[in-house]
Amino acid sequence: MSALGDVGQLLLTANLWQATLAAAVLLLLPALGGVISERSGVVNIAMEGMMLTGAFFAVVADLAWHNAWLATGVAILAGGLIASIHAVVSIQFRADQIVSGIAINIFAAGLTVFLVNRIYGLQDIGHVGPTEGLPYIDIHGLDQIPFFGKVLFQQNVVVYVALILLIAVHLMLFRTRLGLRIRAVGEHPMAADTAGINVYLIRYSAVIASGMLSGLSGAFLAIGISNTFVPNMTDGRGYIALAAMIFGKWTPFGAFVACLIFGLGQAIYDNNSTIHVSQYLLSMLPYILTLVVLAGLVGRSTPPAADGLPYVPGSE
Amino acid sequence: MPLGSVILAFVLGAVICLVTGANPIDAYSGLLCGSVGLTCSQGENSALQISNTLVFMIPLITAGVAVALPFRAGLFNIGAEGQLIAGAIACTAIGVQFASLPGVILLPLVLLGGMAAGALWAGIAGVLKATVGAHEVVTTIMLNYVAQWLLRYLIIGGPLQLGPGTSTSKPIGQGADLARILPADNSLIIFGLPASVYRLHTGLFIALVAIAAFAFLLWRTSFGYEIRAVGQSQKAARYAGISVRRTIIFTMLIAGAFSGLAGAVQVAGVDHNLTDKYFYDTTGFDAIAVALLGLGSAVGIVFASLLFGALHSGGAIMQSDAGISSNLVLVLQALILFSIAANFIGAIRRTLPFGRGGPAPVLPSELPPAAGLMSEAATPPPETA
Repeated sequence: MSALGDVGQLLLTANLWQATLAAAVLLLLPALGGVISERSGVVNIAMEGMMLTGAFFAVVADLAWHNAWLATGVAILAGGLIASIHAVVSIQFRADQIVSGIAINIFAAGLTVFLVNRIYGLQDIGHVGPTEGLPYIDIHGLDQIPFFGKVLFQQNVVVYVALILLIAVHLMLFRTRLGLRIRAVGEHPMAADTAGINVYLIRYSAVIASGMLSGLSGAFLAIGISNTFVPNMTDGRGYIALAAMIFGKWTPFGAFVACLIFGLGQAIYDNNSTIHVSQYLLSMLPYILTLVVLAGLVGRSTPPAADGLPYVPGSE
Repeated sequence: MPLGSVILAFVLGAVICLVTGANPIDAYSGLLCGSVGLTCSQGENSALQISNTLVFMIPLITAGVAVALPFRAGLFNIGAEGQLIAGAIACTAIGVQFASLPGVILLPLVLLGGMAAGALWAGIAGVLKATVGAHEVVTTIMLNYVAQWLLRYLIIGGPLQLGPGTSTSKPIGQGADLARILPADNSLIIFGLPASVYRLHTGLFIALVAIAAFAFLLWRTSFGYEIRAVGQSQKAARYAGISVRRTIIFTMLIAGAFSGLAGAVQVAGVDHNLTDKYFYDTTGFDAIAVALLGLGSAVGIVFASLLFGALHSGGAIMQSDAGISSNLVLVLQALILFSIAANFIGAIRRTLPFGRGGPAPVLPSELPPAAGLMSEAATPPPETA
């Protein structure tokens, strides 16, 4: 009973919501990437591997140049690069997109640790760092607003960027010609092709964009939150982002709400010492919630019609 | 084609080694040494390395079936890992709870318990697919993580934990141990080493029976015919009077039982308890590569499992002898997957002169591309035509 009371108290503190937002953003970036990729018709279960790649190269670049901004740029590039493998294999070679996604995740897990060994001479386990971190920025003036100032305006720079990207991706998908094209390609590529839209170009761009967003999230994780690289440090976050995307019915704001729910769970756990439920049991919740959503208990979640289908020009 | 994919992956792996300043010849001789004991620099024992390769191969065969069987029905079971862990958990829970029972009862009990747990885990995905059309790729990914966290809970602070501060479970009762093929006798010298160092266990025979059962089920029973019919065309199967929903659910249940068996055999034959080693287990994901590389056939699965078992066994020696991270094995595995899925070999052959090869299928025709079912996935299969 007292544990519940403590959680109630906790819910009223700005600290909790500040941590919730940060945890949510970590998931939001790859989830936005997933939304873009799948809206264009390419299934993306590879956010986990793209995030991990971004995290690794962020740390490598940071240690080499001691510049967090440059490192973030490298992470975004690395995410885009590994995503382009997924793009070539699944768009050009029309491979099964799920197999390709699994291969990306395995490739990233193996390659990062292999390279830790090659570059730093460390054996498997062991972390690399410390690094120059991405800064926390208080927005002058706004951060003095009671409660909301702390939650919204005393955050890591990546959080602000992510919130802007959230709005940008939403507007792009639903209010611009480009967004209409992306959705057309994902729903009915042949019709889009007939209308003169370059299906391959749209799909390539969407998949690479998803990799860049995941790479940014990896950089946030490695040099914003933890200042180190450890093998497999994403620990399923890319898959939770996938869950958030489905939970949010393939929309940016829907995914954001799901990320907030998952982030809140994380933040409550991190900030409360009176809950005696195992952290491992709590960690199951995002996955179980997603299963519940998929079971249709909280409304149906339907993917874009051509999601996962390779497009062969001139065929249905 | 599968052989070509493997060769291409090794070539690309060598390029990655060269680019990062590792010697690919050292790397591959380390792998060869660790898998069969050839080209060794530290005088490893061949028989021991082959035994290790076979130990790694055993769960791959059974888990490979758990991926290959649903493939035939047009289902993509990414959840072999979660089902394997569910099987390992059930095997351990039963083996600990009833530790005092004699082996003749306890051993079948833990193996059947593991199969039941795996079947349950896959069955959730099967039922969701058949009733509300939830895509099995997504549900099995989620179930993998639920199983992973359940395992961590159970052996860290949960009821199976050995003692405070440990991340291992209590050992299963001796009656639940699968016998080794060679007696654990230090005075008996076989191939220059005491017999007790060879970990090869009788789970090998269970795996071989499982693969035979898979082939029999698929090609010699009416249910196997139904599975293949559903995989070829749900619509046609429905016209033929086959219940698509029932076939989907039973296919997943059976596949899960195979995976659960893999986990149970691993606990009963090798580890005898659950450890944090299982947090990093990748057998269920390797199984996807095994099923694809083996083209979903029984013989193919055995050979592919042998290859991946050899890579696992070889990776350890490559790391200790050549100083090259065993994670190169994961890189090779990913490259093999890319190569099979994208049919790079077919593409390379098409660019050769003399027009050899001809147009190649996107995937082997026997394996329906799982993603192709996405359009059907949005709605549950209707029961009547």
